[in-house]
Amino acid sequence: MSEQIAFWMLSAIAVLGALVAVRKRNLIHGVFALMIFFAALSVLFLLLLAEFIAAVQILVYIGAVGILLLFAIMLTERVTGDDDRRMTSRGWFWGFAVAAAVFVILLLPVIQQLPSPEAAQTIDPSVKELGHKLMNPYVVTLEVLALLLTAALIGAVTAAQGVRMPKEEDSQE
Amino acid sequence: MSILGGGIFKGMAVTLRNFVGSYFYRDRLVTNDYSWRPEDKLPQSIGDYPKEKGEQLRDTTTVTNYSRNFPMLLHDGGEPMDTVRCVACQICERECPPQCIYIEKSTEKKENAGGKPQFYPATFDIDVSVCMSCQICVEVCPFDAIVMNSQFELSTPNRFGGLLVRRDDLLKSNDYYHRIHPEEAAARDKRMADEKAAKEAKKKAAAEAAIKKAEEKAKAEAEAESKEEAGDKKEGAE
Amino acid sequence: MSLDLIRDILIATVPLLVIFPTLFAFTTWLERKALARIQNRVGPDKVGVPLTRYGGRFSLFGLGQPLADGIKMLFKENIVPRGADRLFHLLAPILALIPAMLVLCFLPLEFPWTKSLLPVQAFLLDSAVIFFFAITGLNTLAVFMAGWASRNKYSLLGGMRAVAQMVSYEIPLVLSAVVVVMMVGSLNAAEIANAQAGWDWFVFTPWGLAAFVIFFIAALAETNRSPFDLPEAESEIIAGYFTEYSGFKFALFFLGEYIAIFAISGLAVTLFLGGGSGPGVAMNLVDQGLATERWVTVSAFPGLAVIWFLVKIFAIIAVMIWLRGTLPRLRVDQLMGFAWKFLLPLSILNIIVAGFAWHAQQQASGTVKAIIWVVCLLILYATAKGLDQLNRPNVRPREYKYAE
Repeated sequence: MSEQIAFWMLSAIAVLGALVAVRKRNLIHGVFALMIFFAALSVLFLLLLAEFIAAVQILVYIGAVGILLLFAIMLTERVTGDDDRRMTSRGWFWGFAVAAAVFVILLLPVIQQLPSPEAAQTIDPSVKELGHKLMNPYVVTLEVLALLLTAALIGAVTAAQGVRMPKEEDSQE
Repeated sequence: MSILGGGIFKGMAVTLRNFVGSYFYRDRLVTNDYSWRPEDKLPQSIGDYPKEKGEQLRDTTTVTNYSRNFPMLLHDGGEPMDTVRCVACQICERECPPQCIYIEKSTEKKENAGGKPQFYPATFDIDVSVCMSCQICVEVCPFDAIVMNSQFELSTPNRFGGLLVRRDDLLKSNDYYHRIHPEEAAARDKRMADEKAAKEAKKKAAAEAAIKKAEEKAKAEAEAESKEEAGDKKEGAE
Repeated sequence: MSLDLIRDILIATVPLLVIFPTLFAFTTWLERKALARIQNRVGPDKVGVPLTRYGGRFSLFGLGQPLADGIKMLFKENIVPRGADRLFHLLAPILALIPAMLVLCFLPLEFPWTKSLLPVQAFLLDSAVIFFFAITGLNTLAVFMAGWASRNKYSLLGGMRAVAQMVSYEIPLVLSAVVVVMMVGSLNAAEIANAQAGWDWFVFTPWGLAAFVIFFIAALAETNRSPFDLPEAESEIIAGYFTEYSGFKFALFFLGEYIAIFAISGLAVTLFLGGGSGPGVAMNLVDQGLATERWVTVSAFPGLAVIWFLVKIFAIIAVMIWLRGTLPRLRVDQLMGFAWKFLLPLSILNIIVAGFAWHAQQQASGTVKAIIWVVCLLILYATAKGLDQLNRPNVRPREYKYAE
C-alpha cells in the first residue's frame, strides 16, 4: 500500500518535472526541472530495489548530464527566455501523432501480454551480482567500451586543443 | 632534490610554532584584552596603554624588521627637500605594475645632499589604495631613494584624497629607515658607501690615468720634437 | 508500511541530524580559535555564560560564540537582490544542505541504540560508496543555482568556478577510492570498514597512503576549503556564490558546507583510516538472515566505535584548519593543472600499482611482501616526483623594461 502511494507520488513528480522542463522558456529553470524528473526517476528505481541503477541515474544524469547542460547554456547567449510568450508551431499535430505512435510501439510488447503476469521471474539486481557478471562473462565488452570511451576522450582533447600556431611555439621557446 | 611537498610541511611547522607559541608567550599576542577594566580606566590615547598583565604595546612603526607595507622616499636628514635622494628619473613610475606612482619633474635643478645640481620631484604621489606592495620600485631605483615603509595604520575618513599620499608625507629620513629596518638599512648604506668608494677610486684611477696619459703624450711629443730636430739637423747636415 | 519500520528509520536518522549540526557549531568555534592562535590572536573568548558581566570570568573560552552567531543569523534581514530569481535564490541554500545531510547516512556509524533495529541503515547497501559520490555531486548544482539566481557578476563567477573545480576534482576523488574498493572487493561501507579491523588500515599501505593523500587533497577542493577556496575567494570575488546571501540563508549555506566536510572526512575515515576501529573495538559482520548483512561492532563499552570514528573525523578536520591557516589560495590555472596533470595520472597509476600488489600478495608472504611494499612506495614516490618536475612552471625573474 505504502509502495503504491510512493509510486504514484513519484510518478506525478516525474511527469510534472518533465512537463515543466519542456514548457519553460527559461532554460535554467528547464534544466532544473529536468533534474527533478531525473531525481524522481532515480527514487523510482530505488523503489524497485534497483539501487545500483538508481545511483548511476544520479551520478550520470544529474551529476554529469545536468552539469553539461548547464555549461552549454552558460556558453550560449540569451540564456533567459520570456515566459509569457507561448510556444506554438505549425504541424504540432503531426509531431504529437509521431510521439504517440512511438510511445505505443514501445509499449506494444507489454500491451500484448496483458494482463501482465505477477513477478515473472526472480531476478537478483544486487550490485554484487552485477559486478560478478561484469567481471566474468562480460569483461571483454566492458574493456571494449572503456577503450571506446578513452578514444572519445582523447579525440575530444585533441579537437579542443586545435591546431597549434607556429607563433605560440616561438613564444614558448 | 627536495622532498615532495616539503614546502607545505615547512609552512605547517611555522604555523604550528605560532599556534603553540601563542599559548606560552603572551608578548606574541597582537591584541590586548581590556574587558577586565572598568569603563573609566580604558586607555584614551596611545600613551595610556597599560602594560599590566603581561601586555605589550607594539609600536606600529616597528612591527618586525622585515615587514613592508607601502613605499616611502628617503632623505639624508635635515630639511627633507634639501637632501632628498630622488632625482625624478621616473623609472619607478614607469615600472610600477599597478601604475600607482605619479611624478612631476622639477623645471630647474637644485643642489642635493651630494652637492651636485639635480632635478627633484616637484610632485611625487603614491596612491596606496592601488599600490600592491610589490617592492618593484625599490628594486629598480638606481639612487636608493625609495624604500618600503612598515607603517600600516593608514585608515582615513577621506575616501579619495586620503589614500593619495603626497610627497611631503612620503619623505622620511634615513634615520627613520634605520630604526624600522636596521639590517636592511645598514646593508644598503654599506653598499652605497662601497659604490661611492668604488666610483671615487675609479675616478681617481681615471684621473691618474689621464695624468699619466698626458705625461706620456708630452713625452712622446717631446721625443717627436727631438726627432724632428734631429731630422732637421740631418737635413741641415745634408 | 509498518509503524515499526518508521520508528526504526527515525531512530537511525534523527541522531545524525542532531549530532552533526551540534558538531558543526563546535567546529566553527574550533576553527576560529585555531586560526586566531596561528595568527597570534586570541579568537572568540567573550561570549560565555549569559547574564554575567562581559561574559565575566565564566566565558568558557568563548564556547557560547556559535550560539550567539546562530541567533544573530536568525534575526538578520533576509535580503534578495531586485533582479534575482526569487525562487531559486530561496531553493539554493536548501539544495546545498540536503545532499550534505543525506550522505551522512552512508557513513558506517553504529550507535549503541541502533543494534536492535531493522536493517534500515543506508551504509549497509551494497552500493553505499557509489551513492555517496553520486549524492555529493549534487552540491555542485546548489552552488551553481546560488550563483545564477543572485544575478550578480561575482556570484556567477564564483558559481562557475565552483562547478569547474568540483567537476575536475571529483575524478581523482573517485579514482583514489577505487583502490580501496578493489582491495576489499565491495562497495559496502560497513564491509570496507570491517576489512580494516584492528590496525590493518589502508593508509598504512603504499597505495593506500597515496590514495589517501589524493583523496584528502581532492576532498579539500570538493568542499571548497582553503587553499582551494576559489569559489568564495574574498579578495577577488567578494564571497563568490553567496555574495548576495544574508541572514538564515547564509547560515544554511554555512551549515551545508561544514556538514559536507564532516561527510567527506567520514568517508576518508571509512575508506582509509579503519572506520570505527581502534583500541577496544572489534568488528564483525553478523548474518542474521535478513535482506542485508548486519554489521555489529563489539567494543569495550557501547558507542566506543562511534567515538573513535568522530575522533578520526576531527583529526582530519584539524589538519584542514591547520592547512587553511598555512597555505595561500591557488590561482585558477594552477588549480586545474594540479587536478588534471598531477592528481589524475597519479591516481590512475595508483590503481595499476594496487592491482599488481594485490596479485603479488596473494601468493607471497613475509619478506616478499616487504619487498612489494617498498617497490610500490618507490614507484609511487618517483612518479609523483616526476609529475611534479614536469609540471613546474617556467618562471623567470622579472625583466625590467626601463631600469638598467
